[in-house]
Amino acid sequence: MAPVSMPSALRYELLAKCSVTKARAATLHLPHGPVPLPIFMPVATQASLKGLTPEQLEEAGCRLCLNNTYHLGLKPGQATLDAIGGAHKFQSWPHNILTADADVSFQMVSLLKLAKVTEEGVRFLSPHDGTPMLLTPEHSISLQNSIGSDIIMQLDDVIATTSPDLARMTEAMERSVRWLDRCIKAHKYPERQNLFCIIQGGLDLDLRRRCTAEMVARDTPGIAIGGLSGGEAKDAYCKVVDTCTGLLPEKKPRYVMGVGYPEDLVVSVALGADMFDCVWPTRTARFGNAITARGVLNLRNAAYAEDFSPIEEGCQCVCCRSLDEGGLGITRAYIYHVTAKETAGAHLLTIHNVQYQLNLMKQVRQAIIDDRYPTFLKDFFAKLYDDKSKYPQWAVDALKGVGVDLLVD
Amino acid sequence: MTEALSASKLADLPPEMLDFTLLKPAGALVPRLGRLSIPGRRTLLTPDFLGNTSRGAIPHISQDNFGKTGLDGVYIALEDFIEKHPQKTPPIFKLDTPDPLRRFTALPKDTIFVLGARRQPPIPSANANTNSEIGILTSVGFQVISSEYYAAAARKLQPDIVVGLADIPFGQPTVGLKRKDKMSDRTETWTRDIIAKRSTIDKSEPRFNIFAPILPIAKEVQSWYLEHLLDDMVDKISGVAIYDSHLLDELPEELQHLPRLSFDNPSSPHELLRQVGLGMDLFTVPFVTDATDAGIALDFTFPVPQKTNGTERRSLGMDMWKSEHTESVTPLTDGCKCYACSKHHRAYIQHLLSAKEMLGWVLIQFHNHEILDAFFAGVRNSIDKGTFEQDVATFEAFYEPKLPEKTGQGPRVRGYQFKAQDHGKSTKRNPKAYKSLQVPLNAFHGQQPNPNPDVRDVIDDDALVGLVGMEHVDPTEQLEGLKIEDDRS
Ligand SMILES: [Zn+2]
Ligand SMILES: [Zn+2]
Repeated sequence: MAPVSMPSALRYELLAKCSVTKARAATLHLPHGPVPLPIFMPVATQASLKGLTPEQLEEAGCRLCLNNTYHLGLKPGQATLDAIGGAHKFQSWPHNILTADADVSFQMVSLLKLAKVTEEGVRFLSPHDGTPMLLTPEHSISLQNSIGSDIIMQLDDVIATTSPDLARMTEAMERSVRWLDRCIKAHKYPERQNLFCIIQGGLDLDLRRRCTAEMVARDTPGIAIGGLSGGEAKDAYCKVVDTCTGLLPEKKPRYVMGVGYPEDLVVSVALGADMFDCVWPTRTARFGNAITARGVLNLRNAAYAEDFSPIEEGCQCVCCRSLDEGGLGITRAYIYHVTAKETAGAHLLTIHNVQYQLNLMKQVRQAIIDDRYPTFLKDFFAKLYDDKSKYPQWAVDALKGVGVDLLVD
Repeated sequence: MTEALSASKLADLPPEMLDFTLLKPAGALVPRLGRLSIPGRRTLLTPDFLGNTSRGAIPHISQDNFGKTGLDGVYIALEDFIEKHPQKTPPIFKLDTPDPLRRFTALPKDTIFVLGARRQPPIPSANANTNSEIGILTSVGFQVISSEYYAAAARKLQPDIVVGLADIPFGQPTVGLKRKDKMSDRTETWTRDIIAKRSTIDKSEPRFNIFAPILPIAKEVQSWYLEHLLDDMVDKISGVAIYDSHLLDELPEELQHLPRLSFDNPSSPHELLRQVGLGMDLFTVPFVTDATDAGIALDFTFPVPQKTNGTERRSLGMDMWKSEHTESVTPLTDGCKCYACSKHHRAYIQHLLSAKEMLGWVLIQFHNHEILDAFFAGVRNSIDKGTFEQDVATFEAFYEPKLPEKTGQGPRVRGYQFKAQDHGKSTKRNPKAYKSLQVPLNAFHGQQPNPNPDVRDVIDDDALVGLVGMEHVDPTEQLEGLKIEDDRS
């Protein structure tokens, strides 16, 4: 297929490439300002991030967050978004927004009895109130045009990667390509909103290769790898990411959708991915889970009731910094004291978790720029697990594939 | 009294001493202006209100945002911190640092801390008060604390002000005369006790200021207590906590100079004005958070706005659940200086409530605190100008007498939020959120939230999991054990 030239509202500025792995450091210039790559994007599903004000999110260092197309389509609805002038104004967020439908598709996957995919679009019952809905590529793009997000995603046909039905998987992949064409055609503002395609094909590497070739030919400003994070084995996930990034043009951002556990992030970066999003870091805060370099701590555990140390020693978030450092000096014991009893406790932990994820990516980026990413990876796993025997096999194998042997110091 | 005079007086005081200066000389039952100063803390100009905390936080407000509430002081309940008592030492007492309560709750250095035993308003405890103990409610159930324990806690936690224990059988509709005598006797004992315990604190250690309770019973019935308060204790206390504002009428002359904290919880701004008119100085105002939880943005000023059109009585608040706000890009209240009004608009706040996003309540909470803050500033100004009485009359004619009824669902119930009156009702206040409807197919986009109020409030997957308070207690069970009559001692 002949490449179609498509306007782009972003500039990908490559800063450094790891000399061993496929990791890249870059600056992505977007309509609402530059963002550092690799990046983790917090998910503000309904134009709000778990009780934080947009200003608190900004203070944690976030410059690009996610909104969910489908949720904003329901509430506040397209008419309101048009009347108010888009999602930036609606939520008073001066920085970048990416909108995606992806996790809706996953909800549909999990509630497949409620969803029916046809060439026209997806029919399903709204999880809000059970109302039957129809979502087409044109609807999705029109809505994202009203939202005014800086990065918009195509509507794709997602089925669970674990599905054994190769024919259905092939159909979904090919349909996603046809839907991309419909999305490109429907997109009204390519000069100010960047449409990303989404590579599908499940865990079948041949399908993924075919899909990648088709998607790359459409020359969208950025490229997403979709359909993952649906419960597949991690080694299969890594093979898909590795295969796709190997076929992608160097000068475009690569977004792996729905991924956010710290070890997944650092491995995926080594495999050549740049952008990630996940609801887990912020959703889990509500249950008292604090993400730290030494693993996830559940601060609802009575063991922390008298632990007067910060959530994570050395963390630069406003909760963990001491009074002398201009922070709040919040202790694990206080989080234990308020979690699940006052929402303020969840807000504090959300601030910490967002900061953790953003800071992790900042360190990743600096390590790539300094060309010491392999060492960074070794340090990262050494901190997370007290013994090499506990390293997850998939991570060891995946990193070996890109030249880093975690088991050798 | 001039500024300079009071400043020099302040300098002579020991470090923790509280100074209360009446700025406008006042007799009985008239509104008064005061200034409450504690070295190192923000100055409270009275009448004013304290932030009413829950587990050390203003509900919905994370500590990094506390400054946005504009609060100068907070009220903190000891029962929020001692659920491990008596089996284990509560964690906060193991925090080995100066000013542990402040450090633990991470509230600002200059905020005035007022410690009481019970939350405001208190939930009746199943444990009756005895001669030596009062019944409390922690997040894991009903408990008792002794006067001794309370004094030790105060000494350890180092608040600026401690409200003495009062023997009040909360939740009991009528109290017999015999019981009232006992209330008076016990309260006197406990007040003497905390004064005595404080006097043993070494001069080098921080010493809290004591507010003595004034019981919600007739003056004659607590006359012994009041007399002894005047005879032996008046120079040891720094203020009074008044459980029934009608008693301002009968407050002995010798207590007039002390700051008065109201524990007679006001249900409306009108009620606040009534108490201010009787000479009350300080309040906790539980209706601020109640309004916030109900999604009601308070909307009143004192004195009433100059320009007015229409003769209809104005509502005291705006129900932000209402769909009329969905496209409104105006602030909650025009000209409001709060964080929510300066950064956001009604449409967003309405959306947040309807999407059950926690930020909705956060923003309304900022706003409601600012409304109260401006209200008290207006009250002080009005007293200063001598127009208070007529301003109150205009206010009463201008606004509806009560806050609007809540229509939307509140946030998920947090710890302590069940009320004793809910006894017998289902304890699951928020109904389950799934519903399947057979209704005609709608195109996806352009579709507005379902106008049917039954389904309007249902919520996404997130809400199905999420915050639960009091997970170790079944409130129904607790309340079944509730005994009001406590003449067992
Ligand atoms: Zn932190
Ligand atoms: Zn406001």
